[in-house]
Amino acid sequence: MVASGIGAGVFGSLLGLGGGILIVPILTLGFGLDLREAVGVSLISVIMTSSAAAGVYLERHVANMRLGMTLELFTALGALVGGSIAFLLAENVLEGLFAVLLGYVAFTMARPRTETAHDTSTLDIDPDGEAEPAQEVSTLERLSGEGYRVRNLGLGIVGASFAGIVSALLGIGGGIIKVPLMNVGMGVPLRVATATSNMMIGITAAASAIIYVARGGIDVYSAAPTAIGVFLGASAGSRLAHRVDLRILRWLFVVVLIYTAIQMLLRALG
Amino acid sequence: MSATTSARVFDAERTIGRLLIAMTYVSVALMGVGVVLMFANGISPLDAGPPLDPGDLGAEILGLQPAGFLWLGLLIVIAAPIARVVLAAIAYARDRDRTMVLVSIAILAVLAVAVAVAVTGGE
Repeated sequence: MVASGIGAGVFGSLLGLGGGILIVPILTLGFGLDLREAVGVSLISVIMTSSAAAGVYLERHVANMRLGMTLELFTALGALVGGSIAFLLAENVLEGLFAVLLGYVAFTMARPRTETAHDTSTLDIDPDGEAEPAQEVSTLERLSGEGYRVRNLGLGIVGASFAGIVSALLGIGGGIIKVPLMNVGMGVPLRVATATSNMMIGITAAASAIIYVARGGIDVYSAAPTAIGVFLGASAGSRLAHRVDLRILRWLFVVVLIYTAIQMLLRALG
Repeated sequence: MSATTSARVFDAERTIGRLLIAMTYVSVALMGVGVVLMFANGISPLDAGPPLDPGDLGAEILGLQPAGFLWLGLLIVIAAPIARVVLAAIAYARDRDRTMVLVSIAILAVLAVAVAVAVTGGE
């Protein structure tokens, strides 16, 4: 289980994903844990890697703490809802949802990358040219960072709430939703969006982890070795990133994700 | 530093970052000790672990029981992002940024509701 965690951490770190998207299928399909138990284990791994990464990002002032905290209020609310309904949904419904998530991630990884078009550090001009109401302009300016101006706060709030629900239901950090939301939807440069998303993941996952712990949904014997493995793997992955051909790794990963999605779907269908 | 970030909050971000890193390493160390004790006692990660009993944590750690170390490490993992919000709230309060103080308090309130929901709903 420690080795599986290391593998998930290395791959997740190299491909810019959290460990959750890999840990949950490994624990359910590989070790026979039920999905809710695997989600509980995954949440702990996700908080640990998020805290380590967010610590570095905050120390270096890359993350936008003001924007992150504003949005994480809504991811936490979403996580509270998701964490509560996770215990009401049938296991095969969660497995079906996870299969859909895996398919979505495989699709986003397989399509041509276009986010560099949005990764400019001079996004301080509203491309739509529409005037914002005076109150909103003030709020948006306060949430903006150096060299960019945040837009579409309403979209950000809705998307963050959705990311919180998905995170709590499926045990993922939700970066796969939050990073494109902030980068493409709100005009935040990719590097800042990644750092801010990492910071937000901690509170999102903590809100649902509290519910899982209190309801006996986290098994400490499986959670701790896995979390340590993911932490060690993520640390190693960040050092290996420049030595690995990420294009080959990405396509290999797409195949693994599709295979896992099919297995998870078959399990959901009984 | 961005136009909207004061020097006080700028410094607080560095302190918060260091706190997050320190708490992560402490939790890894505690869980590492717990995992070593698990294997030394022939416990498999697939065995059913004991539920959290906060009152027994101290005794379990003094008695070198793996569950005590594992649960304490795990609780520190969950506490790290919460500590980050508390420190940020203090920094924003010293900066007289009422909006962000309210946001911080609201986040902590959501977490408090999560605890209440979990405790009452789990019974």
